[in-house]
Amino acid sequence: MSKKILVVDDSRTALMMEREILERRTTYQCVTANDGQEAVEKAQQEHPDLILMDVVMPRMNGFEACKMMRQQASTREIPIVLVTTRGEESYMEAGFQSGCNDYITKPVNGTELVALLQSYLGE
Amino acid sequence: MNGDKSSATGAKPAVVETMNDLRLGAARKRLAESSGQEDAIEGVREIVANFLGSEEMGLFRVDRRTETFEVFWSFGIDLEQYDLLRALGDTGLQRVMRGECHVDLGTRERSGAMAKAQAFVPISVADQTIAILAIFRLLPQKVAFDKSDMELFKLLSDEAAKPLFGVTGHAAPRTEGPGVRM
Repeated sequence: MSKKILVVDDSRTALMMEREILERRTTYQCVTANDGQEAVEKAQQEHPDLILMDVVMPRMNGFEACKMMRQQASTREIPIVLVTTRGEESYMEAGFQSGCNDYITKPVNGTELVALLQSYLGE
Repeated sequence: MNGDKSSATGAKPAVVETMNDLRLGAARKRLAESSGQEDAIEGVREIVANFLGSEEMGLFRVDRRTETFEVFWSFGIDLEQYDLLRALGDTGLQRVMRGECHVDLGTRERSGAMAKAQAFVPISVADQTIAILAIFRLLPQKVAFDKSDMELFKLLSDEAAKPLFGVTGHAAPRTEGPGVRM
């Protein structure tokens, strides 16, 4: 059974790109959400093997969603990779404090993204 | 015979999609699926931010009748006082009005109070430049534009006019030189 990744971004462009990469370059299944609130709900319903999540989003941002998922038993152990345009150290630190496992910056390098996902999920 | 089996059999050679192809495909799809001007503008913003690495940009509409440029939209930067013609210079202006991208390969530092644009992308329809997308400061993790970014500039240049301005097809023949001044 293929591993499932929950991709979260309010940008349709980013979602399209990440979905294309996952569908064409990996065997992982892809489900999507458009903001942090929806991500928390989808994570509980879909039980993904990994969450790839943008930080700056409406309703609930990636940091808040990450914290919330870490507080819930059903989502506590899911690896979370945050994706953002902000590469400053303080911002990355805030990401790790929210409970994420990894942090990558935009523009996303597709090859590096696939390698990172495989390091968590295997090929 | 050239020994190319695929040519001999009429079969197409396997196409290997690169990551850049996927990126271009996503950008093309996003523009094509725009539901209106506002959504198309958001699409351009997303493409520049997610794929080109800048959160400062502006779109200037070219008015050939009055021979002026007008700020149509900006994001992350105030372009009220921005002098597009001065920023482009004569050579840059001619290039952009000919439909070529003008990329500033010089310093990334800000000049004076106004940020310096990194790239000017003509938005064209029927070989005529109807608007110019200026991309300003790059994100700190983005060192410079690369070859694949040029392909994305070309895509924006060729395919953004319709979703942004609802224009297609037959424009007047291109004039000699820029044809626009301030």
